[in-house]
Amino acid sequence: MENLGMLSAGLGAGLAVIGAGLGIGKLAAAALEAAGRQPEAASSLQTMMIIAAALIEGVAFFGLFICFKMAG
Amino acid sequence: MSKEHIAENTLEESSQHNEHGGDPIKELLNGLGDHHDLTVFNHVIAPLPIILYDDGGLHFYSSVHSMEETGDYTMEHHHIVKKSDHSSPDLNLSITNLVFFEVVAAIFLIFIMSKVAGKYKKNPMKAPSGLQNIVESFVTFVRDDIVRANIPRRETADRLTPYFLSIFFFIYVANMIGMIPGGHTPTGNFSVTLALAITAFFVINYTAIKDEGIGHYLAHLTAGTHWSLWILIIPIEIMGMFIKPGVLAIRLFANMTAGHIIMFALIGVIFLYKTVIAGIPITAFVLFIYLIELLVAFLQAFIFTMLTSIFVGLNLSHGESH
Repeated sequence: MENLGMLSAGLGAGLAVIGAGLGIGKLAAAALEAAGRQPEAASSLQTMMIIAAALIEGVAFFGLFICFKMAG
Repeated sequence: MSKEHIAENTLEESSQHNEHGGDPIKELLNGLGDHHDLTVFNHVIAPLPIILYDDGGLHFYSSVHSMEETGDYTMEHHHIVKKSDHSSPDLNLSITNLVFFEVVAAIFLIFIMSKVAGKYKKNPMKAPSGLQNIVESFVTFVRDDIVRANIPRRETADRLTPYFLSIFFFIYVANMIGMIPGGHTPTGNFSVTLALAITAFFVINYTAIKDEGIGHYLAHLTAGTHWSLWILIIPIEIMGMFIKPGVLAIRLFANMTAGHIIMFALIGVIFLYKTVIAGIPITAFVLFIYLIELLVAFLQAFIFTMLTSIFVGLNLSHGESH
């Protein structure tokens, strides 16, 4: 049964990282496009992009934390 | 680096008592947790005192060794249990290595800040020089972009600025302590980040109650919806009141621990292969992740402070938009 836990932990971690990667990828694309349209707003866009990226990564880390509990 | 020693020790320990496959991970997580003595590069350099509160009495022991010899407690799988009935003590208030590093961070901050403040007190009109430049740029960054940007009223913002500065600098220094060899990250433990989040919880709610009054604060719980929805909305808002600081705690703790776990696991792979050819690319990769972790240390301090100030600003009146 422990092997099942470790297998599911690996799968879960991979899925969590896929979600985070897709989310932050879309975020970066939108931020860069907006910066391209209006270069004066680039610095405020940068601040907001970093905040949103940290929030999305936080959600991915919740999933990762559960995977660690499953594996250990 | 210290990580190789810890990874090597972890693999040896786990291969020695390998009842089931989950042991390396448990040893790894235990290595990142708090210990009851100061270990640098896997050598114990100083034992730390153990303070237990059990059955209404405080017990002091100067080290794990003296506790095992004289007292009624013993270590079992990295937990302190009573020798008689294997029950855990009520409260473990020991000075572990994480507490030690928190105190180191606090003393470092007090030293630097008092030095810079002294320079400003002596010569207020002089242009900043040396250490003042860095500290002043960080302080102005926190004050202008984090506190004043999110809290509408100037006097509330100025009253809360010391709190936000303390939180930001403490989390940043505590995160960076884990980056120097031989240091353990205090904020890599859920209890520490939960304590910081509890202070944020009190600041968020107390500021709202003090500035707006209890009636207006309770009105915020309804979030401006029709009265027929209140029975749904109010429990959700109350849960949100507790969940938001909890999520802050988990985010900080998970970010700090995950970086270290990745680095340990990668260095453990070198010991798996036991060749030099595997060592070179893996070390380069670990260096890359180490640099990312330096950025993450600053970013997580910034995010914690920024989100706390956003939550404070959300609870206060928005001025003209309500």
